Amino acid sequence: MAFIVFSILFIGLLYSHFSLAHMVWTQARGRNSAELDMDYVRIEDYFGQSFRGKVEEWLKLPYEGSRTGAMRVIDRGVEKVIVAGKGMFPEGRRERLAMILEDDFVCGPDCHFERELMVSSNVHVGHGTQLQALACDGSAKLEKGVTVRRWLDVAGPLEMQADCRVISKVCSQHSIYFGPGSETLSLFAPEIETEGRFESLSQSVSEPREVLLIPHAANITEPSHGYDPKLLYSMGGGSYLYNGSLKLTAPLHVRAPLVVKGDVETMEGSMIEADMKVKGCVKIGAMSMIRANLVSDGDMELGQGVFFQRVLHAGGGILLKYGVRGLGQTAVVVYASKMLTVESNVVVRGKLASGDKVKAISSPLAWLKHPAGDI
Amino acid sequence: MGFIILIARILVFLSMSVLTLYAIRHYWFAWTRLRLRKAKDTMELVGFVNPTLTVLVPMHNEEKVAADILQALADNDYDKSKLEVIPLNDRSSDGTAAIINQFAATYPFIKPHHRREGRGGKPAALAEITGRLTSEIVLLFDADYVPGKGMLKMLVAPFADPEIGAVMGRVVPYNTGDSLLSGLLSLERASGYQGAQQARYNLGFTAQFGGTVGGVRRKALEAVGGWNPDSLTEDTDLTFALLLSGWRTAYVNRAECYEEVPQQWSVRRRQLMRWVMGHTACLHDYWPDIVRAKFLTAREKIECFFLLGMYWTAPWLVIGWIASLVLFFTIEAHYVPILMIAMTLVGYQLFANQSNFLEMGSALLLDGNRKRVLLMPLNLLNFFANIGATCHAMAQFYWARITGGKGAGWDKTRRTRAAAAGGAGSFGLSAPREKAREE
Repeated sequence: MAFIVFSILFIGLLYSHFSLAHMVWTQARGRNSAELDMDYVRIEDYFGQSFRGKVEEWLKLPYEGSRTGAMRVIDRGVEKVIVAGKGMFPEGRRERLAMILEDDFVCGPDCHFERELMVSSNVHVGHGTQLQALACDGSAKLEKGVTVRRWLDVAGPLEMQADCRVISKVCSQHSIYFGPGSETLSLFAPEIETEGRFESLSQSVSEPREVLLIPHAANITEPSHGYDPKLLYSMGGGSYLYNGSLKLTAPLHVRAPLVVKGDVETMEGSMIEADMKVKGCVKIGAMSMIRANLVSDGDMELGQGVFFQRVLHAGGGILLKYGVRGLGQTAVVVYASKMLTVESNVVVRGKLASGDKVKAISSPLAWLKHPAGDI
Repeated sequence: MGFIILIARILVFLSMSVLTLYAIRHYWFAWTRLRLRKAKDTMELVGFVNPTLTVLVPMHNEEKVAADILQALADNDYDKSKLEVIPLNDRSSDGTAAIINQFAATYPFIKPHHRREGRGGKPAALAEITGRLTSEIVLLFDADYVPGKGMLKMLVAPFADPEIGAVMGRVVPYNTGDSLLSGLLSLERASGYQGAQQARYNLGFTAQFGGTVGGVRRKALEAVGGWNPDSLTEDTDLTFALLLSGWRTAYVNRAECYEEVPQQWSVRRRQLMRWVMGHTACLHDYWPDIVRAKFLTAREKIECFFLLGMYWTAPWLVIGWIASLVLFFTIEAHYVPILMIAMTLVGYQLFANQSNFLEMGSALLLDGNRKRVLLMPLNLLNFFANIGATCHAMAQFYWARITGGKGAGWDKTRRTRAAAAGGAGSFGLSAPREKAREE
């Protein structure tokens, strides 16, 4: 009898260890996983598109009162949405409801909009204003010190004056002016520029002169200009691996895919024609040309007037110095896991993104041409 | 008797040492993932890297699943002018060829390759087709996988880096509710991908190419001599061949793809035994090259040995248990309680076919599967089954090496999708979707 009682207690105790698992399994049995979104496609202006989709749904909901007044209210149950024509808001206005404006949106300084805005025409936001998120079908101008707590999606040109801050993504289907001191997580547009755009400096990139070729010619056997041919190995498939650092004292011309196990510093006027990976940090000399992808595990710095055409990707931070141009046949992308700093007179057609933040800073060379006029 | 005790003591010490080192490794991985630092990835490059691309889908008697994957590939958002999909029909005797031809007639970028002779098996089929490819990147999917619309772009993004020779996406079982085994394997997969693969990649080690939901740079593949048709795990073989030539394998956790995991213990056992034998063969093939490798740091070399030697942990655990019993029945009985506790603790590192309890739990939490964490105690069944299959495979592998026998051959994992039809919602096609509608 005692044995039977003991056995039952023991089995019960043992089962208790697995009882929760058994319960979960009983519930899950026969129900297969549906946790993946098979239709997921990554798009840059996801927030704007998604919000515009929601607005279309909201506009189908019944209005409170008249459908034709200057200002109407949609009751979504959880919150109300204002639908109006033109929106003019004086200094210091605080608005707690989401708004759909069928004409322009203009607000004075230091306003505070706690919910999303959808504007069918142009937008002018006064300095120091705080927005939640903004989708705009026209052009948009953000004065100095505007903060957007989430995202900005603009169909026309977007001007972000100095010290603006967008916590998440900024997209425009036309162009973005990214003022000095402004910061965000990513910018995507057919053209992104920083203050003091000045074409003549950066368009004069020429083919490099006497240079260090990688892979080197067969007759090169001795180290020169910071390059040791004995450290270059073929990985096969036309790719090469340099088992050391390259601190070069002559312009570099990379002609085949190259992996460098250390740091890289190239001279002014270098040419990178094939994909290059740097396991450490990389500094590309001024007025160089990058026609392929450049990837580094550490920090990356592109000198003044460097021209690039494809992908820049860094495990550390990236600094794009005065006059850098990212102009490819297709959109280019610059991504830094840490901070991406962009100096004056930088133009990029595509995307600037960071795991930390993208920040525009003024360069001492910005005096060459200032947005306010030549100095 | 003294000699037996001495041997038992040495074996227990060795067993404990090996298992403790693996346990530390897995706690390190789990800690890396739990710190919640942004995972290393190339998602910001998705859509900006668009090389010419070939997708290979090896198929052998896959009529139950062929249409699903071909339709999924036809629906993907990759630039079709740069894409070719090659269903690699390896001597199928069922309706696979007809399904493939139907898709080829509907979608011009689907270009079938029918094998009617030659050596069988996926590595041999891949080796045959690779020489004819011209695209920059070659991706591979097993026939039971169903890639999402945006997946191809995600998988090619890491190739912007010229050091990347191969890429691996994430495998997610869809038939999790069909049997207890498939439910438990979903925990194991989460642990292996969300946990171990991402942790290794974050820590700067090469990820492991899994032979499906991934791909390879064609020139890198040619540089290392192509697929090894003699390997039971041509994916592991390729990972190390690439690594030793200076190429790395990237991991893309967001490139998630449904797979069908085994629902029967016998099928799972055969699958695991093939992995164990192939993996251990790679250990024997590559260890001298790893020791001599010029491009690997000491830290990377140690991790290579941990990775290739991982299936040795199961025999070491069994050896440790047996040696503990020997000590129990001799004068050393007072050691046993301590040993039991220690063995239990370090044994947990084997909890999910090479990941530990903490790592599995961490991965499930990162996936947001809080409820399924409760299922973990039942994974003890899988744990013991894994140990049995691994030890059996090891014995078979070394016996074949000693006797000069052939060892195990290629064994295709059995599909059960018909039985699971309707489970995941969109699976179960038998023809191109447009045609299915017309009919």
